Amino acid sequence: MNDKSSDVARRITDELASCGVKLVASLPDNWLMNVIATVDRDPRFVHVPVNREESAIGLCSGAYMGAMGSAALMGASGFMTVIYAITKINYSYEIPLFLMVTLRGALGDHHKHHVSNGLYLRPVMEAIDLPYQVIDDARDIGLISRAYRHSRTFCRPFAVLFTRDLLRGHGGNGGHG
Amino acid sequence: MKYLDAFKVLAKHRRDEIVVTSAGNSGQAWWAATRDSEATFYLDASMSLSTMWASGLALARPELKIWAFMGDGAFCMNPGMLMVERAMNLPNLTHILVSNRVYGATSNAALPRNDNDYAAIARAMGLERVFAFGALDALERDFPGVIGGNVRGHTFVVLEVEPFSDAEQKLEQPPFDGPELKYRFGREIERRTDCNIFGYRV
Repeated sequence: MNDKSSDVARRITDELASCGVKLVASLPDNWLMNVIATVDRDPRFVHVPVNREESAIGLCSGAYMGAMGSAALMGASGFMTVIYAITKINYSYEIPLFLMVTLRGALGDHHKHHVSNGLYLRPVMEAIDLPYQVIDDARDIGLISRAYRHSRTFCRPFAVLFTRDLLRGHGGNGGHG
Repeated sequence: MKYLDAFKVLAKHRRDEIVVTSAGNSGQAWWAATRDSEATFYLDASMSLSTMWASGLALARPELKIWAFMGDGAFCMNPGMLMVERAMNLPNLTHILVSNRVYGATSNAALPRNDNDYAAIARAMGLERVFAFGALDALERDFPGVIGGNVRGHTFVVLEVEPFSDAEQKLEQPPFDGPELKYRFGREIERRTDCNIFGYRV
């Protein structure tokens, strides 16, 4: 990882902490490894690596009912497995949920096997009326806390989608804006 | 032992525990045994997430004791949850696996196998506080010891019960709409712990 990528990871975690996130439940994605490592060594967070993405949905939803801020961090493929959990738990009971997901299959992804995510990730989110915000530029990292607060205000899930350029430190001004 | 009888024993020995139910039968049975409309979250048909949901709550509110029910049908969908529970090792969480050997909420449809040893699975996952009850008198006698006192880590309890009869399948479901349940339960958590879940207190 380059210095810019590490700086982006630090700024993402600072943004999470600023809006009161304590619990971070994660499953890995190569693009997220720097963010996950930064969360893991940051004492402001309780980092819980989970066995599958649905478990992150359960954990974060329960934490909300105990007044603990939380975020679920996962790859696009993992998100595609949690549609039922989100619609059942977060829609039925109107429990807010904050998701941070990689925008796999988009411009800049070198991996052919993410073609399905490129084709369907955003259409699936739109099909279940799950609002999202793409973050491609380090100057937009502040949108994380706005999105988090939006999920709390409207008692619904909200996702931020991180691009490869952002997480690799290539987006915008490289994380120093 | 009979499903409802087991739940009546649990209800009898419940002190101030917060309860999270799983799909179908456990919600019906707990509602029949307690009519609790404040301190129980009837999590409907989450397909294996009741104890993860309860773990998030238990992490957030260590001053509360939490019981989380899960049917063995749900357990079989996501046994890896025990790895997460073991890692979190929350002393205020008791995972109560209700083993009726069928998908009780789906007309007692058969599980892929009906001879799983759930206590052995839990021990193999590294859990240490594992208990199993197959008879009502043992549950009545020993359950208070399982939940009493200060424990150092997560507790896993297996209840071997008979599937619901046809008549029991018709027991009333907890009648709450999702948002009402959220606010009833959340206000109870706020009252007990002086926390602020919803951004405003009433």
